[in-house]
Amino acid sequence: MATGFIILFGLTMLYLAATSRIIAHIRILIVQGFLLFLICCCGMEHNNWLNFAFLTVETLVVKSIVIPWFLYKVTKKTHSNRDVAANIPHFYCLVIATLILLGGFLASNYYFSSMKMIAPIYFGVSVATIIISLWLITIKHKIISNVIEFITMENGIFLLSLSVSKEMPILVNMGVLLDVFIAVYILGLFVNEINKEFNDLEVSHLSDLKDYEYND
Amino acid sequence: MISTILIFPIVACLLVMLVKKKAFATFMVNAYAIIHFICTMLMVTGIGNKSVPYFALDNTNSIFLIVLSLVFLMVAMYNTGYVRHLECSDKKLCHYSFMILVFVLSMTGTLLSTDLGISWILIEGTTLSSAYLIYFNKTKHSIEAAWKYVFICSIGIALAFVGIILLNISSGAVNSMSFAELYRHASEFDLMWLKLAFVFMLFGFGAKMGLAPAHFWLPDAHSEAPSPISALLSATLLNSAFLVIVRVFKIMELANCTNYARLMLLVMGFLSLFVTAVFVYHIKNYKRMLAYSSIENMGILAVGMALGGAAYYAVVLHLIGHSLAKASFFLTSGNILELFETKRIKSVKGLNSADSKTCWLWVASFLAICAFPTSLLFISEFIMIKTMILDKHYILCGLFVFLLTIILYGIGRVVIKMAFDELSEDKAKVVEKNINKVSILMYVPQVILLVLVFTFGVYIPQWLNEVIKLAVGTF
Repeated sequence: MATGFIILFGLTMLYLAATSRIIAHIRILIVQGFLLFLICCCGMEHNNWLNFAFLTVETLVVKSIVIPWFLYKVTKKTHSNRDVAANIPHFYCLVIATLILLGGFLASNYYFSSMKMIAPIYFGVSVATIIISLWLITIKHKIISNVIEFITMENGIFLLSLSVSKEMPILVNMGVLLDVFIAVYILGLFVNEINKEFNDLEVSHLSDLKDYEYND
Repeated sequence: MISTILIFPIVACLLVMLVKKKAFATFMVNAYAIIHFICTMLMVTGIGNKSVPYFALDNTNSIFLIVLSLVFLMVAMYNTGYVRHLECSDKKLCHYSFMILVFVLSMTGTLLSTDLGISWILIEGTTLSSAYLIYFNKTKHSIEAAWKYVFICSIGIALAFVGIILLNISSGAVNSMSFAELYRHASEFDLMWLKLAFVFMLFGFGAKMGLAPAHFWLPDAHSEAPSPISALLSATLLNSAFLVIVRVFKIMELANCTNYARLMLLVMGFLSLFVTAVFVYHIKNYKRMLAYSSIENMGILAVGMALGGAAYYAVVLHLIGHSLAKASFFLTSGNILELFETKRIKSVKGLNSADSKTCWLWVASFLAICAFPTSLLFISEFIMIKTMILDKHYILCGLFVFLLTIILYGIGRVVIKMAFDELSEDKAKVVEKNINKVSILMYVPQVILLVLVFTFGVYIPQWLNEVIKLAVGTF
């Protein structure tokens, strides 16, 4: 059951690579949060109830409600609907993302299947998610897209930490801290402040500080 | 003692937020600096308890803590003079002091923690608190700098977390992240996963330490932050991240993966030197120039770690020397900024006629950082070059000296021009208007730091030498 959800989780990354509407990206975050919740429910042994309750609240409330809701508010306020200026056409984005995902599956199955500590499917999908997110960060032009991709990367890391949760539940809880980190700072302070100062959320506005020119 | 260091700032933060007075907030920062220094000195000399659960003072982190304590004390002293003329509300200044306390607390925690997980969390804490401090001036540029800082460092921290997960996979049945446990079982670790984990952790914590190619946040953040904060960032924050790398390197050493780890450190170290040599030459902003010099020095530390053997001793000396000299350099740059109201190199000329004390501090800080004898950095770089020659790494040695010379020329040219060119009339008026802003408290800390750097080059007190030797032994 968990395997199915993990594959679905991997597929959401393809959708993210193929679309340009910010609102669709936010919906993907909700879906990912919910899938992570389902993976937690299916894949974990429930002998530590406190830890389990903590994880479900985190995935269900923080990942699928609080962060997307906040991002939604920011998009409304800044009227940023699309990230149209990506450097690469969407078709190629989709192809590259698919190749990375395929690479993740193949690598984990061929090379790491002998490892007892970690299920290949967890490893493959989470590594592919991290790489796709990092790559998308480099090609997108809006700050809000960068934040969304940062969150998907963090979701990938969360998935990876779930695979070792039986041995080290504390690792998963540390992963949760990353979420709080995003919620407090990247969203709460900067997106608002940058918006106040620059009127829209284009990355290109944030390239004033240079080595060879003096702009202060 | 150790609990005092960790609990006092929490109480101080609460008080600062309750009282909400400018003078009280600054007083609390000073009080913490003094208590921090006293507690550190007592602990190092063996008085008071040295460990509580998850935190302990051991041979490795003693020297890091002494440096942090000393630099923080000096910065706090400078800060008292600095905030006196700062035009901002009581509330804003309280937030500023609050964040300084949190920032130093998280750095102290990172240094003292005996657990990789706790170190990671506290490194994240340093990003949270220092981002506000970088953004303190609330200008377009400070937002840009803070955004880059938070974004790059949080990606770094996230990747370091991947490294920790991979380390956990490699460690097999060892379900602990305490350094002592990891060291004990290091020889049983799965090497493939361990190597992968090291790459992620080196890149993640290396981003925080300012090693190229993840250094892009550093020049922006250091140049846009208020000067006392730039000094803290450069002289203490980078060291905290370095300590985590040292500890992870130790795991690699015990697991017999030393050559692999050394190669990675060597590449990142030389890349940092190369980046600085390329960029420092054309720079237009003197605070950015100092920031690039920090990247260079972090590169030297990485190269020293990669060399091993006698170079470990050089690494510790370099760490002390760089922190003290760079703190002094950044604080003096704060004086120049106060006097001339600009960070543009071309607009600052005739420092000598404007304010001779600042001018000589500026030149002396430069001499300290460029390893002019008897600066401590001279000894450390000399030992490193000697180690390279003895180990027959002639090409590396040549490259090392070549890159350092370019950087020295780049910085030296700017410093001398700023110090001894002729002061224009309109700038003289600006300086005259601002000269009262620079109080005696904004000179004394640099003098103390520089005296220490130049004295340690010829004489290191017995007790300090013991601490350094113990630290080198654990590397």
